[in-house]
Amino acid sequence: MESRPVEVHLYGSLRRFAQERDPAADSVVFVPVAEGETIGALAARIGIPFEEIGRNVFLDGALSSLSREVRGGERLALFPPDMNLLYRWYFPQYGNEG
Amino acid sequence: MDKILRIDMEKRTARLEAVPARYRTMGGRWLTSSLIADEVPPTCHPLGPLNKVVIAPGIVTGTAAPTSSRLSVGGKSPLTGTIKEANAGTPFAAKLARLGIKAIVVEGQPAEADRFWIVKLTKDGASFLPAERWTGKDLHDVFPPLAREVGGGKDVATMAIGIAGEARMSAAGVCFGDLEGRPSRYAGRGGLGAVLGSKGLKGIVVDDAGAPGVEIADKEVFEGGRRKVAAALTSHAITKPKGALNTYGTAVLVNIINETGGLPTRNFREGRFEGATKVAGEAIFAGNKERTGKDVYNHACSPGCIIQCSNTWHKKDGTEHVSCVEYESDWAFGANCGIDDLDTIAELIRLCNGLGLDTIETGGALGVAMEGGACRFGDGKRAIEILTEIGKKTALGRVLGNGAATTGRVFGVVRVPGVKGQNMPAYEPRAIKGIGVTYATSTMGADHTAGYTICPEVLGVSGKVDPLDPDKAKLAQGFQQATAFLDATGHCLFIAFAVLDIAEGLAGMVEECNGVLGTAWTTDDIARLGAEILKIERAFNKAAGFSEVDDRLPEFMKREPLPPHNGVWDVPDKALDRVYRA
Repeated sequence: MESRPVEVHLYGSLRRFAQERDPAADSVVFVPVAEGETIGALAARIGIPFEEIGRNVFLDGALSSLSREVRGGERLALFPPDMNLLYRWYFPQYGNEG
Repeated sequence: MDKILRIDMEKRTARLEAVPARYRTMGGRWLTSSLIADEVPPTCHPLGPLNKVVIAPGIVTGTAAPTSSRLSVGGKSPLTGTIKEANAGTPFAAKLARLGIKAIVVEGQPAEADRFWIVKLTKDGASFLPAERWTGKDLHDVFPPLAREVGGGKDVATMAIGIAGEARMSAAGVCFGDLEGRPSRYAGRGGLGAVLGSKGLKGIVVDDAGAPGVEIADKEVFEGGRRKVAAALTSHAITKPKGALNTYGTAVLVNIINETGGLPTRNFREGRFEGATKVAGEAIFAGNKERTGKDVYNHACSPGCIIQCSNTWHKKDGTEHVSCVEYESDWAFGANCGIDDLDTIAELIRLCNGLGLDTIETGGALGVAMEGGACRFGDGKRAIEILTEIGKKTALGRVLGNGAATTGRVFGVVRVPGVKGQNMPAYEPRAIKGIGVTYATSTMGADHTAGYTICPEVLGVSGKVDPLDPDKAKLAQGFQQATAFLDATGHCLFIAFAVLDIAEGLAGMVEECNGVLGTAWTTDDIARLGAEILKIERAFNKAAGFSEVDDRLPEFMKREPLPPHNGVWDVPDKALDRVYRA
C-alpha cells in the first residue's frame, strides 16, 4: 500500500541532505514511508547520522521523539543540536510515552 | 555604602540616601517593584506627578559574575495601568552598580511641560543640564555625541528616551547604549519611556571613573558561585561561544517556532509564516556573510557576557544597518506584518531604535493597523512610511505610538492580541498553551519573559494531566517565581537555559548573591523570594483595580481556530485563577 510521502524540512547543517541548501530558503525532501517506520529510521534513510539530529524534531508541529512512527503525508522538521529549542519547557514531547 | 539616588524633577534636585534596611538584599526587579509599591499610589495617573520611575541594577551587577549587567526599570505603566518592570543588558547597569547606587528614583514633574533635562552622574553626585539640543532627534544622532559631549571623552554610559517618550506615547521604551554606544538596548515594554518623558528627564549619562565598585561581603563564596555559573554557560549548547545564540542570535527561533505552528502570522491569524526561512537567524548569518565576506558572530550587549547574542544586520554595501535584530523584533515586523524581507525588517527596527519605541508593541500596533486597513499585510514600503509618522507626531503616528490596543480601538479592530493592554510577543498561545498562561497571569500584561518556564503538563496538553489539578497550578506559579528571582539577580534571563539544565550553575547563581550580600540563601529560597516579588506586584495591581477577570486572553482566541493546528484557546478560566491561588 503506497502512502503519501513525508515532507521533511531541514535546517542548519542538515540542509546539506536536501537539494536546496540556501539558508534563507526551504530545504525540503519528500520521502516515501514504509509501514511502521519511525522518524529516526526515516532520517537514517535520508542519510542523516543520528548524532546530527538535535532535540528539535517536529512532526506536524508537535515536538516528537525519533521513535515516533510516521504515517505518511506529515510535515517533519529536523534541526541540528546547535539549534535546540530555547523554550523547550513549553512543549510536550510525543512518541516517547513509553 | 550603597545608596539610593533620588532625582526630583519638579525641584531639579538630586540627593543620595542611605538604603533602608528592608531593601538591603534587594536588586533589579525586586527593588524596582518594592519601591514602586511603597511610594507610588496604585491608582495614580501613570503620566501624572505621583508616578515614579525606579532604575535598579541587579544584586550581582557590576561584579565579575558573568552575563549579569542587567538593569531593571520600574514604574506604573501607561500602557497597562499595572506595575511594570522592563529590563535591558547594558554597560549603564554595571557603571551604576559600581558607583554604589542601588537604585535611582525619578520623581515629581516640572511645572512646565515639554522641557527636558539630562542628568550627569559621577562619583561626586548628580548635575542637571538642559536637554533642548538633544530633544526631537533620532536617537542615532544622540547617543554617541551626547556621551562624547557630556562625558568629556571619558568612558561613560548613556540612557535616553526618544521622540516617542518625549511625546508621552505608551509604546515608548527606555533606551540604553550597548558597548559600542549604539542606541540598541531597550527596557522596552510598558511605556516607561513615556513616564520619563512626563517628568522631563531626557536622559542620564553615567561616568564611573573612580567609583568604589560593588562591595562583596564574602569573596570566597562569590568566587565559587561565579565559577559555577561561568562553567554552566560555557558548556551548554545554547549559551556557549559559537552556540545557537552566539551564531544565529535569538532569531534562531523564527524557524523553530514556525515549525511548531506557533509563529503568530499576519496579526495572529495563522501560526505558520511561509516567508519564515527568509528572515530567520540562519538567513541573517548567511546574509551577513554574503554582504561582509566573513562569518559575523554576535556580540555582547554589556560587559562580561559569555552568551553574546546581539546581532547586527548589514546593508548590501557591507555597512551596518541595525543592531539588533532580536527574535521578537524580527517577528513583530516580519511574520506579524507578513513581511519577508530582512532589509525592510531591519529598517523598521532601526526606526524604532531611533524613535525610542518598543519593537514588540510597535510591531503589534502595525499588525493591528494592517488588520484595520491602514496598510496591506506584507507591504513593507507602506509600513516604513506609517512608522515614520510616529516621529512626525501626526494623528496616525500618535495612534500607533500608543500601542496595539489603542490602534485597535481607533480602527475598530476586534482581533487585538493583548492582555491588560500589552500586545503579545512572538509565541501563539493557541499553539503553545503554556505561554498563554504566562501572558494571562503575569503581573506585567502579555509578556514572554515573565513566567519563563511553564511545564506543558500544567495544561494537560498531552491529555494525561488534569489541567485543574492544583499541584500543577502550583508548578506554573513556581516558574514565574524563579523568573522573578532571576530578574532580581541582575543576570540575563538567558542564563536560565544553562542553569535550569545544570544544577551546579543554579546553585552558583545563588552563591554569587550570597557572596555579594552576606546572605545564606539556598536554591530552595528561589521560589520563596520570587513569590515575595510577585506578591508585591499583584498587590499593587489589585489596588490599581485589577482582578481575576483581567487575567484572560482576548475573546477571539477562544473562538477562532489557528492554522495549522486549528486549535482554540481552551485553557479554562478556573485553571488560570489557580495559578496564583495554589
